[in-house]
Amino acid sequence: MNHHALSRRELLQALSAMSLSTALPLHALAKPADGNRILVVVELTGANDGFNTLVPYGDDNYYKLRPNLGIRANKLRKIDDMHGFNPGMAGFERLYKNGQMAVVHGCGYDNPSYSHFTSAAYWHTGAPNSGEPFGWLGRLADAIDPQLTPNFLINIDERQSLAVRAARHVPVVFDDPERFGRKGLYASRALLDLGTGDNADNSNSSQQFLEDVAQSARQASVQVRQAWNNYKTPIDYGILSMDLPKVAAMIHARLPGRIYHTAYRHNAFDTHVHQAELHQRLLTYVSDGIAGFMQDMKRIGRDKDVTLMVYSEFGRRPAENTSLGTDHGTANHVYVIGQPVKGGHYGQAPDFTRLNAEGNVTPTVDFRRVYATVAQQWMGADSAALLNGKFETLPVFA
Amino acid sequence: MILEMNNALNHKWVKALTGVVAMLAVSVALAATNPVHPLKAISPQEWNANKARHLLERAGFGASPQEVAQFARMTPQQAVQTLVRYQRIPDKFVPFEDSGSHDDGLEPFASSRPAATDLAKASGESLGVKVKPAGNRRVQQVADRYLYWLRASRLETHRLGYWWANRMLSTPRPLQEKLTLFWHGHFATSEEKVRDYRKLLIQNETMRLHANGKFRDLLIAVAKDPAMLAFLDAGVNVKGAPNENFAREIMELFTMGVGHYSETDIKEAARAFTGWNYDRLNFVVNPAQHDDSMKTVLGRTGRFDGEQVIDILLAQPATADFIAAKLYRYFVREDLSPELQKQLGQLMRDSRYDIAVFMETVFLSNDFYSQASIATRIKPPVELLISTYKKMELKAVPGIPDFNQQTEMLGQKLFYPPNVAGWAHGRSWITPGLLLARGNVIYDLVFPPIDFVAPDRTPNGLYQILSVADKLALGMDVTTATQPEGKTMGDMSMSMQADRDEDFNTRLASYHAWRKAIEKVKPIPRDTVQLNLSQLLRRADCKTTAQAVDHLLQRFVSVPVTDAVKQKLTTLISDDLGTTDLKAADSYMEDALRNLLHVILSLPAYQLG
Repeated sequence: MNHHALSRRELLQALSAMSLSTALPLHALAKPADGNRILVVVELTGANDGFNTLVPYGDDNYYKLRPNLGIRANKLRKIDDMHGFNPGMAGFERLYKNGQMAVVHGCGYDNPSYSHFTSAAYWHTGAPNSGEPFGWLGRLADAIDPQLTPNFLINIDERQSLAVRAARHVPVVFDDPERFGRKGLYASRALLDLGTGDNADNSNSSQQFLEDVAQSARQASVQVRQAWNNYKTPIDYGILSMDLPKVAAMIHARLPGRIYHTAYRHNAFDTHVHQAELHQRLLTYVSDGIAGFMQDMKRIGRDKDVTLMVYSEFGRRPAENTSLGTDHGTANHVYVIGQPVKGGHYGQAPDFTRLNAEGNVTPTVDFRRVYATVAQQWMGADSAALLNGKFETLPVFA
Repeated sequence: MILEMNNALNHKWVKALTGVVAMLAVSVALAATNPVHPLKAISPQEWNANKARHLLERAGFGASPQEVAQFARMTPQQAVQTLVRYQRIPDKFVPFEDSGSHDDGLEPFASSRPAATDLAKASGESLGVKVKPAGNRRVQQVADRYLYWLRASRLETHRLGYWWANRMLSTPRPLQEKLTLFWHGHFATSEEKVRDYRKLLIQNETMRLHANGKFRDLLIAVAKDPAMLAFLDAGVNVKGAPNENFAREIMELFTMGVGHYSETDIKEAARAFTGWNYDRLNFVVNPAQHDDSMKTVLGRTGRFDGEQVIDILLAQPATADFIAAKLYRYFVREDLSPELQKQLGQLMRDSRYDIAVFMETVFLSNDFYSQASIATRIKPPVELLISTYKKMELKAVPGIPDFNQQTEMLGQKLFYPPNVAGWAHGRSWITPGLLLARGNVIYDLVFPPIDFVAPDRTPNGLYQILSVADKLALGMDVTTATQPEGKTMGDMSMSMQADRDEDFNTRLASYHAWRKAIEKVKPIPRDTVQLNLSQLLRRADCKTTAQAVDHLLQRFVSVPVTDAVKQKLTTLISDDLGTTDLKAADSYMEDALRNLLHVILSLPAYQLG
């Protein structure tokens, strides 16, 4: 990356920030937006077992509900008299002890769905039990970037997540940056790169959609590939890094991206059967990857600008099942991580003595309060408009 | 009309006739209430080559111009019957050629590597392998064998993918394969969890057998299918400790859809399915594990077993609505009005879940041929590739590049659906990254890579296997040879002692497993594409580059293309050939035509069919 390109991009960023503040007075509730601030959202698909992630070892009921799967206190990475991280999670332990991790307990919603797809859709849209068509991150992008900056909303995955589906932004979605480019011979380059979208008379809506995506692909692919190729890091992200090195490369290259969504893919956390060993391994990957990413942000001097949030579509039932696994549950932790975060516990741990008819805990924090917190306190959006209702924020950002 | 159809087709088959009667009853009933009903059949006067082409896109995998012309000469009824009532077309069935990588010693297969090695340590034997009486790594061969079967099954499943893709390409019954593919997504079952290609082959044949039959038969067959039972944890659904996985998915994904049942219904239904299991490749009911007590499911109470619960589910109007809408969204279009949705549900109920009757009505309907339906469907990756091959008139699925790798890169790998919900269709197939990848797949097809490495022979990109093999050959001890490279181990830092004592080494096992698997599993043939565009254009009597552009657009692209775009494409090929006269360029035009085709198939609109 040469300096001219960098400073030009910075100039453009500054200009767009100016037009934002002059054209659209920010909502009184929202903190002034800092154009450098970035939100990275990581989804653990399949419903992570929160109770074996951050174990409430001080609560005897935990061991009563999990006589076999319960992790013994002496094996845990204790963070206080009540809680300890899974033995595989050295990275999370360190982040917590450094005061860079907010654990929000008991996040869920009323009338919970136990379907992965339904509940994931509720979390993706930030709208439980409704037919909201757009993702909360898509709406967030539309709200804070009305000038539709290209490459503002970035989703690294095989498929576009519902979380980034937007009414106006076309999210940049890719998996392998190396392959995020077009093959084509010299002579046909112009035709490939210009596309042939001058077909308005005949086009149907699917065709229009494809033309829009093609345009977004042209804009994004060169920048993403360059960013990835110019990026080298000495940091160890562990074995399965949830695409976080790619996010780091984009941030390092100062792409305009301010909202990122990645996932631990393929319902990996759906641990119904013989989960102990597998679950610990999954958590090690998560913990190593995220700790590595945070370290990398510090290395490139962007740790003040980046907040990362970890969520899962629901938690798992407190009681182990008869196959040494756990079934679908309700409330779970959400982790908000980063140098700007005021570390500690937020919300209230669910009560194991008051389980519902399905044997599940009652959520103590509506997960949209966490969304409201990061959207408003961190990204400067009007969270009530974003979430179609007022959700009390948590004092996660000092 | 019945007579006319039978005369025209000169055929009598009772099953189809019943279907036609049911279908007519439906259309008569519909016509009486609403004269311009969307499901009313189009008239023979409206039939033309464009509609035939559309039908072949949707009821099959697209077609060559000759096939389109052939269907255009039929009446719409004949064309639809030919596709839907495919049982009367002889099937040139080439059974899957098994490599024989499985043997009985592998049964019952361990649930995990620790389970396999723990059993060996406890009992002296596991997976048909005895523990070494003395020495280092006494259960190494057990770990080898466990990973061998995972690898062999995976490689064999890739062969299965090729076998099925070739079937899609060359079958005279395209709708049978397309429906089988639809059901594969509906009853999504992945090798990733089943870990036994033999079960997946059985499931595939079950779905093919019932593809256009009665949904009830299919649903019951799938509920008793070993791959499905393994996939949804049937083995642990036992009396006194029901596992809800299958009961939940059958309601949420296979029949009614979310919102039509309660958590109690799931718990109760799960008990009805207790004891359902498989033994090797057969369905079994274990009476001792079956809960025979009373259950209440969706308002009905009795000592239900699994089949009775399935009948309760089929009796729910929501089930017919759900299946009908899902078929319609897959075969016709994504957005349907609430009224149409209702009519489709009614059609499904009236047909008594007869898929052939339902599809027949749909493929003849006004709505199917309406502007909103034609060329608006984004092709799923497998269909994109197969239809491209068909329009190229290929005789076999190319071995280079690898079909499974290509479709996986585009988001759809046969026998590996992403999760229990199957593949999400429509716009979710397309992202900026995937749209570019779709173009690149075409590039690699017309200009195949010359550095291709067969993924079923060489463990390219597989963590550590190659380097372990190399280091062992250089005489390193196992501990050193299998030490991970370039990673600081942090908390798990390994001791640096040479060749330490241990029961087994999993990295060593990965290497052994690969070696043994490729010894057993037959290789996938690796012919490159046998494409001859020059020949296709000669046959079509194209004389100028402009005609070549027209022909290729007509052959491959479903939406109209503007004159301006055609002009650009013509300039591209004319410049490349140095002439507009194809005859003059006949001896050297193939590469230029392939480049032109790459550009044409890179149009965003090529994704539509």
